[in-house]
Amino acid sequence: MFAFAKNRFSRQLVLALCCTVAAGLAAVAVQASDLDTIEQRGTLRVAVPQDFPPFGSVGTDLQPQGYDVDMAQYLADQMELDLQLVTVTSANRIPFLQTDKVDLVISSLGKNPERAAVIDFTEAYAPFFLGVFGTPDAARIDDAAGLSGKTVGVTRGSVEDMELSDLAPDDATIQRFEDNATTISAFLSGQVDYIATGNVVAAQIAERNAERAPTMVFRIKNSPCYIGLTQDNTVLKTRVNELIEQGKEDGTLESMSQKWFHTALPDDL
Amino acid sequence: MTLDFSTLLPYTDAILEGLVTTVWLTVVTTVAGIALAIVVAYARDGSREGPSGIVSRLLGAYVEVIRNTPFIVQLFFLFFGLPALGVSISATVAALLAMILNLGAYTAEILRAGIDSTLKGQHEAARALGLSRLQSFRHVVLMPAFSRVYPSLISQCIIVMLGSAVVSQISVFDLTYAANFIQSRNFRGFEVYLVVTLIYLLLAVGLRLAFEFVGRRLFAFRQGGSS
Amino acid sequence: MTDFTLWDIVRNLLLAGRWTVVLSLIAFTGGAVVGLVLTLARMGGLWPVRWLIRLYVDLFQGTPLLMQLFLAYFGAAVLGFDVSAWTAASVALTLFTSAFLCDIWRGCVEAVPSGQWQAARVLGLNYLQSMRHVILPQALRLAVPPTVGFSVQVIKGTALASVIGFVELTKAGTMLNNAAFAPFTIFALVALGYFILCYPLSRYARHLEKKLYGAGIR
Repeated sequence: MFAFAKNRFSRQLVLALCCTVAAGLAAVAVQASDLDTIEQRGTLRVAVPQDFPPFGSVGTDLQPQGYDVDMAQYLADQMELDLQLVTVTSANRIPFLQTDKVDLVISSLGKNPERAAVIDFTEAYAPFFLGVFGTPDAARIDDAAGLSGKTVGVTRGSVEDMELSDLAPDDATIQRFEDNATTISAFLSGQVDYIATGNVVAAQIAERNAERAPTMVFRIKNSPCYIGLTQDNTVLKTRVNELIEQGKEDGTLESMSQKWFHTALPDDL
Repeated sequence: MTLDFSTLLPYTDAILEGLVTTVWLTVVTTVAGIALAIVVAYARDGSREGPSGIVSRLLGAYVEVIRNTPFIVQLFFLFFGLPALGVSISATVAALLAMILNLGAYTAEILRAGIDSTLKGQHEAARALGLSRLQSFRHVVLMPAFSRVYPSLISQCIIVMLGSAVVSQISVFDLTYAANFIQSRNFRGFEVYLVVTLIYLLLAVGLRLAFEFVGRRLFAFRQGGSS
Repeated sequence: MTDFTLWDIVRNLLLAGRWTVVLSLIAFTGGAVVGLVLTLARMGGLWPVRWLIRLYVDLFQGTPLLMQLFLAYFGAAVLGFDVSAWTAASVALTLFTSAFLCDIWRGCVEAVPSGQWQAARVLGLNYLQSMRHVILPQALRLAVPPTVGFSVQVIKGTALASVIGFVELTKAGTMLNNAAFAPFTIFALVALGYFILCYPLSRYARHLEKKLYGAGIR
């Protein structure tokens, strides 16, 4: 019963080596879809959130709805393409783009150097302020240093995760969750008393859960949302930028902002 | 997009931290889970003799519920559901609790199969010889059953160790959490997952070797009898 | 904000539960076919084939299913294949299932006493004939209970497909929890859904085992 242990061990080591080498040899470039490819296909594939109201959440029919979903619909309509929505989490929205599973990421995506190194961004299409929020009876904090000894929940890989990782003192605990749904659930369950997220998201949570309404304790930064696309996809980028500009001028974005954020679109966007 | 493993180097610490967490979770779970299983097996074995059988039925329900629902759902239930009832537990405690309950249920069932195959007469003979119920359970029922089902037990512990990858979903900093964390920083998902998968493979081999080492000590005198 | 009634929750979970069933069926059927081929190849093949199949089984049994899913989903794309969450989950679960079934079935074939082989060969049957007429019918009888038992693991395994964004029972649960925030109710219902699918299979497997064991001592 114990005889083959050594044998098995060496076999698995060989296996490990084989896998690594095979994967290295087999890696090939993934071809991103440019505007021509998309138009030939006739379908615009857009990554949207399903766990981040008011940008994207699900209705009682489990279909996505929200500002990002309307934005995607607006672009598809203007480009005269069918829209295919792909729901993503914060952690996997960039890989979706890198592996050509989607053409655009409209998923309350903020800009940061890590992301700029691997993907490209259009102009901003939605306002967003990041902050740390606490329960109504959580201890007041003035700045990041006040997080000392506290636990903050945040969605892994989000801009607020990156910012908080830099700002928070060493003895603050940052609990990172897979997606916004889990982060918000952790906050509402009482698993964490502070979360880092966007102002409009916090407002939505507050609307639904008065007893644990997230209240701003300090502001991290202004981080408007951009549409993400693959690098060197110039024609597509130009086209989307034109449409964002057009949407700002003809009032489309303004009415979306009124509908989902209940406020006017800021002038500096 | 070609493979580039050098982008992982700055994150060695994260992988190590994750590795340490996965290992200690596994060790604590193995010890506590087997202990829980023995208690369950003892109670179920005893309540067969007892008049009510209610304990036996409750423990049976626990074993069936755990065995017939996914680990990830048990984990979410403990982590999100319990606080809603006013019982707050941290992510690590939720993970540990879910893992122990899981291993406990499976091991109890494995042990029961081993116990059932012990001849009933042996147990009675031991009682007739004047051994207490606990003594007879330990020497005549449990130990032979243990050595008989030891290979299944090893496999089950490995399954629980591999299954612990799921605790990353409730923010426990295990090996998979490290992989996801690195992926969210360097966007090199494939390389990270490949390396971490290999680490799990080595952990599984290591765990098996450790178990076989312990098994040789524990059951040395029974070698002839076990299959 | 949308309000969710209990019926909304149950209805959506039931709808998503369909995909759990479909994915389980795909994984189990695919896994059985691949597993059968592997088992036969392993029993009769040359040593490099047998060795490779053992590697295959060890690989899938020695790594987390969650990692296999991550690799299938994001890895396949890096290797140049475009895979949807559907494909990735089906492929990963099929491979996972085939490895475990191959191991279970090998055990069953080996459990047929070697005298049976020798007798078949003495009677002039070749490898395939002895396999088909003598060994497999006996191994099959041994294989049914653990195979039914393993189908429970396959159903539970599909829950992990939620992590790569496949909307089945577990994913629907987390989505609903985010919108309705009733974790206790929702995850209890999700667990109940799996229990309803798995428990009859577990019971049936145990029943078959008892029957086989009972027949065995006679």
